[in-house]
Amino acid sequence: MNASKAIGKTLVASPERKLEADADLAVVRRVQAGDVAAFDRLIGKYRERVLGIVYNMTSNREDAADLAQDAFIKAFQSIHRFQGQSSFFTWLYRIAVNSTLSHLRKNRLRSFSSLESIREDDPVSRELVDALTDRTGAGREAFVRELQEKLNDAMQKLSINHRTVVTLFEIDGLSHQEIAEVMDCSVGTVRSRLHYAKQLLQAELQPYLR
Amino acid sequence: MNDSERRITVEDLLRLKRAERPPPEFWARFESEIRAKQLAAIVVRRPLWDGASRVFAFVYRNRIPFGAAAALAVAWAGVKFEGGLLTGRAVAVSAAGQTAAARVSATAVQVASASVLPRTKAEIGAPEGAPPLQTAVDSNASHLTKAPVAAQTESAPRTPFADGIGIALVDFRATGPDLAKSGVFGSDREFEASVTSMHQPAAEPLAQMDPSGERLERLLAPALPVYSSSGARAFASDRVKQKASYDRMYESMDRYGAGGMSLEFRF
Repeated sequence: MNASKAIGKTLVASPERKLEADADLAVVRRVQAGDVAAFDRLIGKYRERVLGIVYNMTSNREDAADLAQDAFIKAFQSIHRFQGQSSFFTWLYRIAVNSTLSHLRKNRLRSFSSLESIREDDPVSRELVDALTDRTGAGREAFVRELQEKLNDAMQKLSINHRTVVTLFEIDGLSHQEIAEVMDCSVGTVRSRLHYAKQLLQAELQPYLR
Repeated sequence: MNDSERRITVEDLLRLKRAERPPPEFWARFESEIRAKQLAAIVVRRPLWDGASRVFAFVYRNRIPFGAAAALAVAWAGVKFEGGLLTGRAVAVSAAGQTAAARVSATAVQVASASVLPRTKAEIGAPEGAPPLQTAVDSNASHLTKAPVAAQTESAPRTPFADGIGIALVDFRATGPDLAKSGVFGSDREFEASVTSMHQPAAEPLAQMDPSGERLERLLAPALPVYSSSGARAFASDRVKQKASYDRMYESMDRYGAGGMSLEFRF
């Protein structure tokens, strides 16, 4: 049900994405014309989403910060080659995902977690934690920390491609078509990877499911 | 909705990951770092190998059309270069031939006019009305003496050694025109004939020697002892001839030997 909601959300958001893409293209044209400062607008607009993708793929905040910065720098250096055939955020996501995948493959044996804390000022997360536990105070914080580590362990047990699909779809909210463009694969492959990844996650997180 | 009755799914748990966000102060540092990297990317020029690697990558992606173009260019350059080389070589050969012919002709004329002609007139006693030596030489000269003249059209390079031979031949034929005639001295074609005969299939030299019995007997007669009767003498001669037969000589290699220009037979 939630997956269908997410798909419907992306379909409804498509005109908004189109408007965003047009606005981004105008900024990109300015940068290509020599207005280097205009690129800061693109950085400010997409920094949290790019960092979130890289962070959820690496589970390391220091590496995520470096990789996100490198993705923006690569996009800035190559922006003269951007033709506007795809949206800027898809192009930027592709750079970030490819850089992260390359980093993960290089450092396959040297991976350790460095997690950000879950901010409970978000109403959705607070409601979810309330549904999971009745504890308060230090016990609640410990439960949230334990759940976060279990989630991270389950994500790290997925392959890199499956983890990327789950991150882009469930956390960042991209559609199957957008994920296929970012990962340069078919929509069927995206659906297959997503289904398989969810099965594995469900088996790993079974104690927390109702 | 009661919290205790709420259904928790994998998607709900993954939504918690969205709440993992860095603190606000993190973004200030992020902004400063990315600005520094951006400035560095603007200021720092790309190294030369970076551009070279891009060029190589472009060529590798389009290696088939580039390879075809390179093959065509090489073929065109080869045809053009070879054509120019042949033209230049023909001009050079023509000039060299003319130079060599002029040098040999001048030398021949000089020899004929300075030394050969007086000597010929004095020693051979040629008549006053005799044709000029050059004409006689030309009429009797073989293709070797005409070779320098023919070099005008041939492409073989002339060497001082060849020029010397030509001059010596001219000198020799001018000195002794009678000897230079083919009937007396023999034509230089004979050398070609001898060379041609050398190409015939090789035959056993001793097999070609088949002296008659009389010749062998005549040659061995001084070495034979004197017998009173003709019958005993014939018997001894037959024995010697039998011993000296070629078959026995071939069978016993220690009975003949060669030293210098002589051939030894041991009995």
